[in-house]
Amino acid sequence: MPTRRGFAGMLVAAGLATPAARAQQQQPKRGGELQFGLDGAAVVTFVLDPHNSGFAPHNRVFRSIFDSLVVLRPDQSVGPWLATSWEISPDQRSYTFRLRTDVTFHDGSKFDAAAVKANLDRIHDPHNALVALPDIGPYAGATVLAPDTVRIDLSEPFTPLLRNLSKTTLGIVSPTALQRYGSSIGQNPVGTGPFRFVSLTQGIEIHLARNELYAWAPPTATHTGSAYLDSVVFRNVPEESTRVAALQSRQVHAADGIPPQNIVSLRSDPAFRVLQKELLNNNYTLYLNAARAPWTDPDIRKAVQQSLDIAALVKVIYLGTAPRAWAPLSPSLFASDEKALTNVWKPDPKQAAAVLDAKGWTTGPDGIRVKDSKRLSINFPDTQGNREKRLDVMQLARRQLARNGIELSIESQTAGAYNQKLASNDFDLSGASQFAPDPDVLRRLHLPDGRPETSVSKVDDAEISAWLRQATREPDGETRAELYHRVQRKLVEQAYAFPIYVLLYTIGTTDTVQGLTVDTHGFPEFHGAWLSA
Amino acid sequence: MRRIGGALFVIAGTVTLVFLILHWLPGDPAALVAGDTATAETIANIRAQLGTDRPLWSQYVAYIAGLLHGDLGTSFATREPVLSRLWAQVPTTMVLTLFSSAVALAAGVALGVVAAVHRDKWQDRTIQFVMLFLTSLPSFFLGILLILVFSVTLRWLPAIGNGSWRQLVLPVVCLGLITSGRLMRMVRSGVLDVLEEPFVMTLRGKGLRERQVLFTHVLRNALIPVVTVLGVLVGELLSGTVVVETLFARQGIGRMLVDALNVKDIPVVQGAVLLASMFFVLINMMVDMSYGWIDRRVRS
Amino acid sequence: MDASPGFLIQDDVPAKGPPRRRLPALAFPLSALVVVAMIVAAIAPGLLAPFDPTDMDGDAILRPPSWPHLLGTDHFGRDILSLVIYGARASLLMGGCAVAVGGLAGGLIGLVAGYAGRTMDMILMRLLDIWMSVPDMLLAIIVAAGLGASFGHTILAVGFVTIPRYARVMRAQTISVCHRPFIEASRSIGTSHARIVVQHVLPHTFATMLVITTLGVGTAILMGAALSFIGLGVIDDRPDWGFLLSQGRSYVTVAWWFATFPGLAITALMIAVNVLGDALRNRLDPRLRS
Repeated sequence: MPTRRGFAGMLVAAGLATPAARAQQQQPKRGGELQFGLDGAAVVTFVLDPHNSGFAPHNRVFRSIFDSLVVLRPDQSVGPWLATSWEISPDQRSYTFRLRTDVTFHDGSKFDAAAVKANLDRIHDPHNALVALPDIGPYAGATVLAPDTVRIDLSEPFTPLLRNLSKTTLGIVSPTALQRYGSSIGQNPVGTGPFRFVSLTQGIEIHLARNELYAWAPPTATHTGSAYLDSVVFRNVPEESTRVAALQSRQVHAADGIPPQNIVSLRSDPAFRVLQKELLNNNYTLYLNAARAPWTDPDIRKAVQQSLDIAALVKVIYLGTAPRAWAPLSPSLFASDEKALTNVWKPDPKQAAAVLDAKGWTTGPDGIRVKDSKRLSINFPDTQGNREKRLDVMQLARRQLARNGIELSIESQTAGAYNQKLASNDFDLSGASQFAPDPDVLRRLHLPDGRPETSVSKVDDAEISAWLRQATREPDGETRAELYHRVQRKLVEQAYAFPIYVLLYTIGTTDTVQGLTVDTHGFPEFHGAWLSA
Repeated sequence: MRRIGGALFVIAGTVTLVFLILHWLPGDPAALVAGDTATAETIANIRAQLGTDRPLWSQYVAYIAGLLHGDLGTSFATREPVLSRLWAQVPTTMVLTLFSSAVALAAGVALGVVAAVHRDKWQDRTIQFVMLFLTSLPSFFLGILLILVFSVTLRWLPAIGNGSWRQLVLPVVCLGLITSGRLMRMVRSGVLDVLEEPFVMTLRGKGLRERQVLFTHVLRNALIPVVTVLGVLVGELLSGTVVVETLFARQGIGRMLVDALNVKDIPVVQGAVLLASMFFVLINMMVDMSYGWIDRRVRS
Repeated sequence: MDASPGFLIQDDVPAKGPPRRRLPALAFPLSALVVVAMIVAAIAPGLLAPFDPTDMDGDAILRPPSWPHLLGTDHFGRDILSLVIYGARASLLMGGCAVAVGGLAGGLIGLVAGYAGRTMDMILMRLLDIWMSVPDMLLAIIVAAGLGASFGHTILAVGFVTIPRYARVMRAQTISVCHRPFIEASRSIGTSHARIVVQHVLPHTFATMLVITTLGVGTAILMGAALSFIGLGVIDDRPDWGFLLSQGRSYVTVAWWFATFPGLAITALMIAVNVLGDALRNRLDPRLRS
């Protein structure tokens, strides 16, 4: 029982000198079942098909079951994993991958070029209507050149492909399983990862067990060979306070999504540890509906921007556990303009007030500005609840805006109603984040071509569009980075986007958990984890 | 037979009512399933797969036809048959509801009797106040306090999960205590009423001991109104499970319903409501039938 | 299902004899005091509250109860005592309006069912059965989700869910009146329906409906708070106990006061409402029996 072990662990921890000394003294122990309290508030049901979920909590589970062709390295470059090497043709439309030959799926079938082709073809097939489709971009087909060689053909250059291939959304699923399970593959995931799927209780928990044959961990892993843990159980506890309580009462060994106020108290408790790592992300950003008056006017947008004091918002709400974001892309992401955009604008309510007055928005009797009998009112629909304290942010923002005569109303509603509002342009402000390893995520948000109706951003700017189109084709390098820098700068300077905070993915663990790491994407890795008690 | 006919009518009516309400709710289930990054074409494809592009009456007919074959449809979100989803979740909710009913009954009846017997004395006053307090407490507030005290501070009981009996304790106590207050007042009233009936004095006159009078005769009569309201209480408990399941991270119909509603997973919502209403109707039918039986037994 | 004595809202069968529950001497005045205090807080919170509830003091975040914040502060640095006082308005409005909606609509349906003859009665009773066969919270959630989150919509959702109960009680009372001989006598001499309803049915049923609705205020407040907890409530600057409770629950391990005091406020109001409702029922008991 975790409780008794934990108590013993506490005694051990109290007795030893420093954490470093402790780590050196203890060798990884094989065995044990790690109970992980998962913040699954964003997902409603578990559908364990990696090609069909854009939700971070799912992907945190997928990383243990599915491997990818390539791995994302800390310097944001891409390294070998299931693929040992690759060549890109001069016209950038063909990628030829050499693959490992010693890899098998959990169901015993062999991983080979045909498997890769089957996966990509599946994603590409419009009848499957899979969420991962945009990740393969202008995919035109794959050819099996040899059992260990596969060539991917694109109809035009698509630089994000390599980084996308490191995502769990393009994780490799067993084609045999796809054949066998068909549409119920979501309840029967089969991959090549360090853990294999055992069972699933819908919405409640997921059981994984060690894949004994695992020998193909990426070079970034802590060790080669199979995982130390016998099994991992992900227990879905969407209720923040209950999840933290489960950790503090040692009912689970680890839990993620620790809210700021608990981070502070857990850190000061020697029986617990807190791991934090930036999630590669389009930061949580607020977008004014650029297609709806009066937000079509950049001066009005800037006035709203200057009425906000985002630094104060972030300080009060995150209590120093999450940094303020200046750029849409999180700081470690390739081509993030975080440094250059720091302090690029200052809150200036007086200036904003002057601009609004000049535009005819005069302060009405109840303090809210009015023009032609229309109130300067921002409607903010929300469906995510107070996830990562986003609604708290909006409450504070409302006060700040009210001081300048701008009214903000927050409407909580079901995901269904929310999507409808986005699709019919019936909103003024909304916020979203999207985990992504490649700056191409900006294109998906801000390039009108092919953008879904339910997109949060309605930006339609010719310059930004041109840069984004070009950057998709530009090989990784200075030029590409510069294009994205320009996009981010314009988004912020033209007040299209208000980045708010950088998400530091947080895992709280008891002191018995060792070797738990977080990969470059920001997803937990259990391959190297072990329990010391 | 009439009863069964009536019950079926109610269930059919409920299914139709909920079907209509759900389709009136805003949102396109296909868009929700597809997620934020899907293209318009993908969404159209999904819509065809789910069948939501057909006219409303056609969907309704298909659903009813399926029902008659025992097919509750397929979840929009997970593509699993709704029946298997419900099958997995029903036992936990039922267990929670039944144990909470048991706790509520036990506490309510015991305390109600004590209160009635010691009418207006300190036992009565104390019990009444405690019960009043409990019925006035929001269930989620009580739940939070229970977790705080028993899980985090004392570490006696686990906060989450639904496997072992230990994990049942806090949710059952939470739900059961709050419902017991109402029962207690009913029992107290009922017992007091019966105690004033002439036949009780006759029994006492015959020399029966107070305890015997109480248990064999008074209680039986007093429990009649309790039985009639049992159906309502079960309905309340089912309602209460929504909040409790969310708070204690338990699987169950209530939580499944809230989650499904959020993404407009219509088949799942319909399935959950159908099940809940069937259960409720069943309990009430049993209550009705037993009412007649109890009545006859008692009078004899 | 209509063979049963009906789904009574409250837990007592109609009493036989003098009031069952003599309340302890203190209970009534104390409850009255609580309700009066809450009404004052609802009407003129500025008189009682030491701070403006929207005042966010960035340096006083999550302070425990201490001077000058007697009940502590929340995660924005707002004074909890002031939030609780200002929150009375939303809760009382929720309770009062939801019960008004349910009571009026339900009363109307019940009246028609009890008065307008067998067929109508049967149809309406079936409708009520269907209505009631969906557990309260589930139906409230479905309706609230459908209407969208706003204060008015939450009131409607809660009111909607409680209609059948009020309808049944009204129906039962109406039927009991209608079977009196003098009603039949009135009809026979040609008194209009409207007259009978207004002069006989309504006065007779009024007392019971009043008791039932008073006791229903508390339940309405609780249901509204539960909807907030689930996330279907309203989020605006208006302090709302249910919303405060749902915000405070994340802080329960580091700041117990945040959720506790709003929770106690809801509880106190409910206790007071229940006690007053009981007193009302005891007072009106003799009338019921006649």
